[in-house]
Amino acid sequence: MSDHHKETFISKYVFSLDHKMIAKQFLITGMFMGIIGMLMSIMFRLQLSNPGESFAVLEWFLGSKWAPGGILDPNMYLSLVTMHGTILVFWVLTAGLTGTFANFLIPLQIGARDMASGFMNMLSYWFFFAATIILLCSLFVETGPASAGWTIYPPLSALPQAIPGSGLGQDLWLVSIALFIVSSLLGGLNYIVTILNLRTKGMSMSRLPLTMWAILITAILGVLSFPVLLAAALLLIFDRSFGTSFYLSDIIIGGEALHHTGGSPVLFEHLFWFLGHPEVYIILLPSLGIVSEVMSVNTRKPIFGYKAMVGAMLAIAFLSFIVWGHHMFITGMDPFLGSVFTFTTLLIAIPSAVKVFNYLATLWKGSIRFTPAMLFTIGFVSTFITGGLTGLILGDSALDINVHDTYFVVGHFHIVMGLSAIYGMFSGVYHWFPKMYGRMMNKKLGYLHFWVTFIAAYGVFFPMHFLGLAGLPRRYYTNSAFPMFDNLTDINSIITFFAIVGGLVQLVFVFNFFYSIFKGTKASENPWESNTLEWTTPVERIHGNWPGEIPTVHRWPYDYSKPGADKDFVMQTEPLKEGKTEH
Amino acid sequence: MTNILIALVLILLVATLVQILRVSELLSELKKQDVNEVTDKDNATQGKILLIVGVLFLGSVVWQFVNWIPLMLPPASSEHGAVIDSLMQFTMVLIIFVFFVTHPILFWYGYKYNKNKKNPVAFFYPHNNKLEVIWTVVPTIVLTAVILYGLSAWDSITNADTSDSQVIELYAKQFDWTARYAGEDNTLGFSNYKLVKGPNQLGVDLTDEFSQDDVVVREVHLAVNKPVLLKMHSRDVIHSAFLPHFRVQMNCVPGMTTQFAFTPTQTTAEMKAQEGEDFEFVLLCNKICGAAHYNMQMKFVVETEEEYNAWMASQKTVKNTLTKK
Amino acid sequence: MSTSKNNTSKQLLWIAMAGIFMFFAGLTSAVIVRSAEHGWDSIDMPIWFWYSTAAIILSSLLLIIAKWQVKKGNSPSIYVLGALALGLFFGYCQVKGWDQLTAMGMYFVGEGSNPSSSFLYVITFAHLVHVIGGLVALIITSVKSLQSKYTKDNYLGIELVSIYWHFLDVLWVYLFVFLLYSVK
Ligand code: HEM
Ligand SMILES: [Cu+2]
Ligand SMILES: [Cu+2]
Repeated sequence: MSDHHKETFISKYVFSLDHKMIAKQFLITGMFMGIIGMLMSIMFRLQLSNPGESFAVLEWFLGSKWAPGGILDPNMYLSLVTMHGTILVFWVLTAGLTGTFANFLIPLQIGARDMASGFMNMLSYWFFFAATIILLCSLFVETGPASAGWTIYPPLSALPQAIPGSGLGQDLWLVSIALFIVSSLLGGLNYIVTILNLRTKGMSMSRLPLTMWAILITAILGVLSFPVLLAAALLLIFDRSFGTSFYLSDIIIGGEALHHTGGSPVLFEHLFWFLGHPEVYIILLPSLGIVSEVMSVNTRKPIFGYKAMVGAMLAIAFLSFIVWGHHMFITGMDPFLGSVFTFTTLLIAIPSAVKVFNYLATLWKGSIRFTPAMLFTIGFVSTFITGGLTGLILGDSALDINVHDTYFVVGHFHIVMGLSAIYGMFSGVYHWFPKMYGRMMNKKLGYLHFWVTFIAAYGVFFPMHFLGLAGLPRRYYTNSAFPMFDNLTDINSIITFFAIVGGLVQLVFVFNFFYSIFKGTKASENPWESNTLEWTTPVERIHGNWPGEIPTVHRWPYDYSKPGADKDFVMQTEPLKEGKTEH
Repeated sequence: MTNILIALVLILLVATLVQILRVSELLSELKKQDVNEVTDKDNATQGKILLIVGVLFLGSVVWQFVNWIPLMLPPASSEHGAVIDSLMQFTMVLIIFVFFVTHPILFWYGYKYNKNKKNPVAFFYPHNNKLEVIWTVVPTIVLTAVILYGLSAWDSITNADTSDSQVIELYAKQFDWTARYAGEDNTLGFSNYKLVKGPNQLGVDLTDEFSQDDVVVREVHLAVNKPVLLKMHSRDVIHSAFLPHFRVQMNCVPGMTTQFAFTPTQTTAEMKAQEGEDFEFVLLCNKICGAAHYNMQMKFVVETEEEYNAWMASQKTVKNTLTKK
Repeated sequence: MSTSKNNTSKQLLWIAMAGIFMFFAGLTSAVIVRSAEHGWDSIDMPIWFWYSTAAIILSSLLLIIAKWQVKKGNSPSIYVLGALALGLFFGYCQVKGWDQLTAMGMYFVGEGSNPSSSFLYVITFAHLVHVIGGLVALIITSVKSLQSKYTKDNYLGIELVSIYWHFLDVLWVYLFVFLLYSVK
């Protein structure tokens, strides 16, 4: 398998077909977008804690049109919020997270030379890249980028008369998302087929590492839900550009009555959330897989309840298709439907609880090695608990009445989806960096990065629940228009302070990442003493992954501290002893 | 110029950092150890930090509750709001309990089981069916209770009997609210967006008999303990009528009518006495609707029956304002 | 190795079809939600859509025969070409169907349009886009077949094309029946 045709720079780094290189392309694009999205959040946090105050940085970044005199323009505020949400949800935590770890880990962990179709894989990245460029271009549009929220509810997103961002900015947003969907479908198809077909000898489904299960389920969710978003977007494009009335009806805007009749904005919400809710699990599941793996390696214990973990992920994935209505309790939907959605939503708490208890049981009597990856894994368990619990309030239709669309929601989803997924992603990067680049990331900087992030992130998002309970709506340019929110300024200042600290400390990570690529200490083949197949590949990364035969698998991946073994880990490639059975 | 300076300083900073790291790595190489290997000492330190940060975190949560609960919304000023409040209390107690049970376990295990000389190997413990059944069944039972309680509350709120309620239309547009009382006949006259013209900003059908006694206002007055039925409309984008003190929220969707029924139980005067002179009931917009979304409000006043009647008597009906030629 | 390649390509196709199906499931459930509300005009299904239904079913049958033939070692060319011709005719029928709709005063947009007619156009149009993909594949298959590239042991191309084409066929029948009842 060592076909030594000469690789050019272009074929190696740009139009690469090698899954490991494509993974890195996704990772670096995702990190770049992550920095932009984070900068945006800091900009609008400045406005929220110090409304109407002048900040030279704002004018410096946004120009005098959108921040005259350093004061953020209300339309630009909404644009920033929208782009921040879009970038973090889709670019960082969907493409950046799944694109990186699915591409990198699938062939390595199941024992394959590459993905089923390297070409489709490359296309997937380049569609993503095109989507990225278009999204970035939309930031510089005369009328501003899209600003109807990442959920782009029409009619706001359909009518440029209603908000300037719904002009060209929204068009570019839609085109960009359409390309993005194509990219993630191409990727998802490949992931599923590769995991199902190209497993090496002995790698039965019940011997798959949990990362593989998580990615498989994620990809299935994506393939089934993204097309529905595409359908929703298509109808929106028709309404915007051709004058159909799928979502629009009985509208007067700018003093003019529009011709649209018979459309229903609620229809869009149904279609959108039919994707939107599975989307949050598309974001979360890969991280669930990553932390399961990292936790097992670093507690030197098998993950507790492997089967239950897989079962819980399957249950969560299945339920995630029948709960979308919990985003729509107060759209005037039939109260009976509301009851059904409350019921299905709260059911998701059961598999989630099982996962949490299994994680705690895995830690119990472990022999924990605190690598930076392990710390982020513990951070993940914490945010998963905290965010999951507030979900009980939002999923309960009666309670949702008063917290819907308030900062309570912002606090909830940032913790359960934003932070958990980001922690999983960091955990994965620290853990697999040695395999990606053949070098180690700096441990001390890793520790610093984790502790400051952990504290700052809770400092940002925990207080938001209180803002929500005080009735503060989200997507408000300032809280100063209502005297009832005047006593919340302290909380807002605390949040902004921690947002800046949390943002700055990410630079430590970026620095560590690039420093270690070039100057990090050399890694050995299996630095964490893990069991899975990727750690049997040589440090020198080659096309085809293994220089000789692909190894055969004889056992599950979690034989850590197995009684009777001579080391505290037994790799999947080691045959079972005579007469011994698995587990 | 300043930009170039800033850039230079940044580059120098990064370069210095690189050098510091290099030196520390070279030093450790001299001592024949790997800087990036996680040692027993690291495990001990990180375990301790985990415990300390964990305690601080839980402490800060307590601190936030103690300090910020007084800033939260006062108890509900509506009948169904009381139901929501007690459901909220029940759920809050439950989740705070689970939070304060699971988190200490997480931090404690992390601290206690760090790898060191006394704890060199882990306990091989791949599964335990009995335990797993327990922690599937117990959450299921608890959730069943939560679901049943929640659904009964939801049912009582959404299926409230509205036959005696006073009907008021809330009309949303960028970026303000208008209300229309149904008048003596308690039936809103027909309206249509195509009829919006001049002063008739709600598009009320002036030929409709039911419209004549309707009353259009920019500030809503309600009589305490008298049930109302709000009917929401929007004429441009989606808005959301949010009355946090009454625990009322419903989207206003163009092309659709939505509704929410409630009964105020406290007057503005009572609330002022309790919460301070500045207190007012307000209606906010809670669905992103454009540049001035953050400032789309209307005052609600709850008063005694007599005060309300006096106020109503002073308002002009559609017949007296719009219909007359 | 080659059977595993066959399996892989077939699976890729099946999963892609699941995705495509979800796209149409989204559109049709939108119709269900929307048609339950007021202001939903009824439409008589243009006769050309009946013709197109017949055409696509027939062309599917021809592809089934083509596969038999190639399995037996005969040349499948005429059948593939026949399927292609019927496929093109399907496209023609769809366009005529739209003509007929506009002649009946049912427009996609503007005055005289209604959500029901807009949906009808969008759904048939989106299906046709997928059919065009299928036609391109059929053209390639026809050329290869004429060049005798397919043998008894190597007819993956024909298999894949027919799976996709049958899918388009079943999908169309589903959409057609669905629309028949929901725009009534
Ligand atoms: C530096 C860290 C972050 C800060 C300070 C931050 C802050 C905020 C705030 C304050 C809002 C609400 C603004 C408003 O409603 O007016 C918001 C919205 C949002 N954020 Fe973040 N965020 C951060 C990271 C993340 C992450 C990691 C995610 C990934 C899931 C994320 C996803 C979102 C989404 C989806 C929205 C909603 C956007 C919308 O309303 O359309 N954010 N963020
Ligand atoms: Cu959801
Ligand atoms: Cu509004």
